[in-house]
Amino acid sequence: MIEFIPVIIILAFLFETMDSCAGMGFGTGLTPLLLIMGYDPLQVVPILLISEAITGFTSGFFHNEFENVKFKLKKPYNKETKIMFTIAISGCIAIIFSVFLTYFAIKIDKNIIKTYVAVLVLIMGIIAVIRLKSRSNTYKPKLLLSFSGLAGFNKGIGAGGYGPVVMLGQIFSGIYEKTATAIVSLSEGIVSVVGVASFLLLPLITNQVLEIDFILLPSVFTGGFIAALVSPYLVRIFPNKMWQVVIPSYAIGIGIYLLAKLYIL
Amino acid sequence: MENKDYKNNFISNEIGYLAKILDTEMTISERMKIKKSSVKKIFGALIVYFSIIAIFSIIL
Repeated sequence: MIEFIPVIIILAFLFETMDSCAGMGFGTGLTPLLLIMGYDPLQVVPILLISEAITGFTSGFFHNEFENVKFKLKKPYNKETKIMFTIAISGCIAIIFSVFLTYFAIKIDKNIIKTYVAVLVLIMGIIAVIRLKSRSNTYKPKLLLSFSGLAGFNKGIGAGGYGPVVMLGQIFSGIYEKTATAIVSLSEGIVSVVGVASFLLLPLITNQVLEIDFILLPSVFTGGFIAALVSPYLVRIFPNKMWQVVIPSYAIGIGIYLLAKLYIL
Repeated sequence: MENKDYKNNFISNEIGYLAKILDTEMTISERMKIKKSSVKKIFGALIVYFSIIAIFSIIL
């Protein structure tokens, strides 16, 4: 018998709504919160990846349906689809690299790298707010590639913050906020599929028994799925000017939250 | 250099073209209206949701 936990459904709904509207926060925000609530990493990390794999595709599909973006999955791909694949590929390489680090048990001081990502997200959020009035809309492909690489590197070394860096990176590269959100949603779905596969393959490589507890899955999936239907519609109806303020402000909030979690909570 | 800037400006307009059109040419209340085919797809997604939950209840 599967169990639904109302508070988890509400939390998953709120964080996935913000993730699908602002392109960030589901993993970065919900993971530490669930760990603080007493759940074990093996009850949280694979469950969020499975849920994000399904909701990422759902959200991407409905962003396309509500015309926040136009993906073209047949050749010749359009620019939006190529950007989505670029971001997804950097994330997939990063996920595989992070599994490799886990496999060879390479130790990196987690506090230092998590502080670095929190400060990076905070600074990027502040810059995005400052440049609101003076922003240029010219597409900068090299800058986008650099930010995708940087986000992938951060995820690869286990520091997280992939969504905020890649989302703000797109905005700095001249991509329209509504479209950037849609691109991140679908690429996160693809990255999460590779993440789930890595989690399942890890025990085979290391000859270990990995006991994943699925207790949170129905609740996280339910909240996340409803949000993946609602958010693309919200992105469609509210004007881009609002998202120009909401996205960097939310990034600043995430940066402060990550720093608070490291040094205060 | 100027040509490159022109090209990148052109691409910028191409990326998110539909979203920009919706923002500039429609009011919020107009954007709230969605196509019948989209409503059908939402119902389709709900069927997918219930199917996945049914699979969870079998395998978990």
